[in-house]
Amino acid sequence: MSDDGDWGALMAAAQAGNGGAYRRLLAELDGWLTRYYARRLPSGVTQDAAQEALIAIHSKRHTYDPARPFKPWLVAIARYKWIDRLRAMARQLETELTDTLAVGDHEQGVVGAIVLAELLASLKPAQRDAVRLVKLEGLSIAEAAARTGQSESLVKVNIHRGLAKLARIVQERGDAE
Amino acid sequence: MPNEPLIDALAGDLAPVRPRRVAREFLILVGIGALEIALMLLLGGARPDIGVAISLASFWWKLLGLGALSAIGMITAVRSFEPVSRPWRGLRLFALAVGLVLAVGWGIDSGDAVTMPLFERLMWRHGLDCVLRMAALSTPAIVALGLLMRRGASTDRRASALAVGAASAVWGAFVFAFNCPSDDPLYIAVWYCLGCAIVTLIGRLVLPAITRW
Repeated sequence: MSDDGDWGALMAAAQAGNGGAYRRLLAELDGWLTRYYARRLPSGVTQDAAQEALIAIHSKRHTYDPARPFKPWLVAIARYKWIDRLRAMARQLETELTDTLAVGDHEQGVVGAIVLAELLASLKPAQRDAVRLVKLEGLSIAEAAARTGQSESLVKVNIHRGLAKLARIVQERGDAE
Repeated sequence: MPNEPLIDALAGDLAPVRPRRVAREFLILVGIGALEIALMLLLGGARPDIGVAISLASFWWKLLGLGALSAIGMITAVRSFEPVSRPWRGLRLFALAVGLVLAVGWGIDSGDAVTMPLFERLMWRHGLDCVLRMAALSTPAIVALGLLMRRGASTDRRASALAVGAASAVWGAFVFAFNCPSDDPLYIAVWYCLGCAIVTLIGRLVLPAITRW
């Protein structure tokens, strides 16, 4: 994998229109982003998150200043998209709550988002349990409700509130890569 | 690699881009500001008693205070459009500067032997008119900063929006200061703060939604 300096040089070349350099850069960033989100999001959404970040990098590539290190720029965009994804997951729950209380399995749940798991300690116990069981361990809402003793709608509310709070925490405290 | 088709598409029709330059954005803002002031003065917008006003401490307090706040606000806003930025640091400095300017105004006011009752000093009809005028004068700044924010990549859109709103608001008030005949610190503190608060709130509420990326 290239180091920060190489990535910066590749992006500078991409800004000048060098497609080959850009292709190489994006391929390397794809691997980095996939690993980044694997530590922070349920595995069902890491690929989508990496894609979104690649598109964001593409659309905002003019904001990279070649005189500065590349990695902080990359981390800032990746983190922004991470917060975006947490908020989107919270909004999705909100929509489901508004539309219907019928609950399907949350196949996006997964184990492995280490950073996300660590952040859960900041949540209230009911929110923490709901997010952990459904988003990290892959249980359905019904299973999580049975496990925690919460109603299904309450599990959804707690996931929604928990994810929204996580997004706020990440926004406020920053994320050291 | 699952994202290879996407990477091919992004790299396939790559167009050169001009890297963002903060200095260029400041120049654009300074140009717009200078044009706005020049237009206002050319169209007869300067207060008729400006020759007398320049001998008053409160006039210079108003003008320099708002000018300094505009500069801090603009710098905070433009810098917040970079992905790697800490807009809250600039916003805290801005809030401190507001407090300092108001404290200096209070000092000037307490030094003046004013006998008029508070309510009469506020001249609320005139004050409301001032609020509307300074809000209108902040429009070029909020539009320009909003466009720069859209082109940039703010990673804290709420903070950027707040900075844009505040910077535009004090800019509008700064331009209006050339027109406003009042140099009463109480009047300025109340009505200018109200006008700035309204513009700031509009920026904070509207901009995050239209600058998503």
